[in-house]
Amino acid sequence: MVALALILCVVVVLLGVLVAGLLRSHADILKALHDLGAGVGDPAGGQASHQHAASAPVPVPFTMGTALPAERNSTSAPDLAGVTPDGDALAVAPASSDHLTLLAFLSSGCASCAGFWRAFRSPEQLGLPSGARLVVVTKGPELEIRAEVAAQASPGLDVLMSTAAWEEYEIPGSPFFVLVDGSTGRRIGEGVANEFAQVAELVRRAQIDVAPFDLGDRGTSGSRGRPSAAGLDGPARERANDAELQAAGILPGDPSLYPSSLDDLYGRNATGRDPAGTPDAGAGR
Amino acid sequence: MAHLSAHGISAALPEGFEGRIFRRTPGEGEIALPVAHFATFPLPSEVGDFGSGAVTLMGPNDVFAVLFEYGPESLSAPLFARQGRPRRFGPDDFKPYVLRRGLAGHAGTQWFFTEGGRPFTFYSVIGNHARRNRLVPVVNRLVEGLAIEPASAGPVGGAPWN
Repeated sequence: MVALALILCVVVVLLGVLVAGLLRSHADILKALHDLGAGVGDPAGGQASHQHAASAPVPVPFTMGTALPAERNSTSAPDLAGVTPDGDALAVAPASSDHLTLLAFLSSGCASCAGFWRAFRSPEQLGLPSGARLVVVTKGPELEIRAEVAAQASPGLDVLMSTAAWEEYEIPGSPFFVLVDGSTGRRIGEGVANEFAQVAELVRRAQIDVAPFDLGDRGTSGSRGRPSAAGLDGPARERANDAELQAAGILPGDPSLYPSSLDDLYGRNATGRDPAGTPDAGAGR
Repeated sequence: MAHLSAHGISAALPEGFEGRIFRRTPGEGEIALPVAHFATFPLPSEVGDFGSGAVTLMGPNDVFAVLFEYGPESLSAPLFARQGRPRRFGPDDFKPYVLRRGLAGHAGTQWFFTEGGRPFTFYSVIGNHARRNRLVPVVNRLVEGLAIEPASAGPVGGAPWN
């Protein structure tokens, strides 16, 4: 009986210590919240303080990380500067041209980059549309071996070594391609590829998307082709219309430009009406 | 702003400028000296020292500039007597007849000088003489960002000035 009473006393003491610890922990939390300005449990605040704390937002210190440059976003295309494998200095401004610039981020040692380096030795077989520019960007000399890059690069190929460029364009790894439309100064595509033919096809499609309407394209579209309806508007549309009419021998003042009836537009047979507007006798048969 | 530096020449390029500071592969018995090209349009990989192959690609709002170093034997020539490069140009410094290759609408300027014991010429072309009031300040912004290191004790000799 005595032993049982002793055990009970020990248990009660242990539970008392546990409760005291919990209360102490709770007090620490309340104190921390008070230090943060939450005001919960603030005895000085009284009832009004509790009501205020429940209804109004309480300022809590909040610190942001380092801000990115204001001009940088997911489509910006900053200028690139670095060195060439020969030790010369090179800066490229892809956003300041009127053309597409394809930035190929490669490494000298990566196995999947080797095929691209080989492909770049025959630029005439790359299949890039005319006017599109290719610039290879490797990491800087502190992370790449110049001689290795020089050995991979073919003569006439623009190769820029710049680790900062990889960071600014947030390149996840090599090989990686970024396509910049100089006319808008924006990145219009980026990603990886297994073969350069895939990249070239994407560049070709992008060039079609960004190309302005060109009347010289009649050879592939015809006078009734799609370019006439492909987003043409404003003065360009009027010029295109004028050119089409002129090509068909319809000059300013031509009577066909001033129809007075449907027959003037479609002819008598097409409308089934005679010049006087009387329904053709056979039209309903 | 892109920063370029090579062969004792550095440039803080204004936004939209491309640049290349390089030395050509020297021929037999030759010493290649630095050449710097700057442009507001894409520079082809192969450009002549004074812009052949590039100036034909210029648009009316474009600017092209060359900083070309001559050999130390030119230091005593009266042509290079001016000390320090020109720091600022006026619209009237650009003339349609000061062009290595005369192209309609273009205008150019060329200055010879010595800086840091190194003889140079600065040659610049603007794409449209009629727009010189707007384009010459662009050239001035480029020139402000150029820096030339003093000559180091190196091999003597090189390409004679022409």
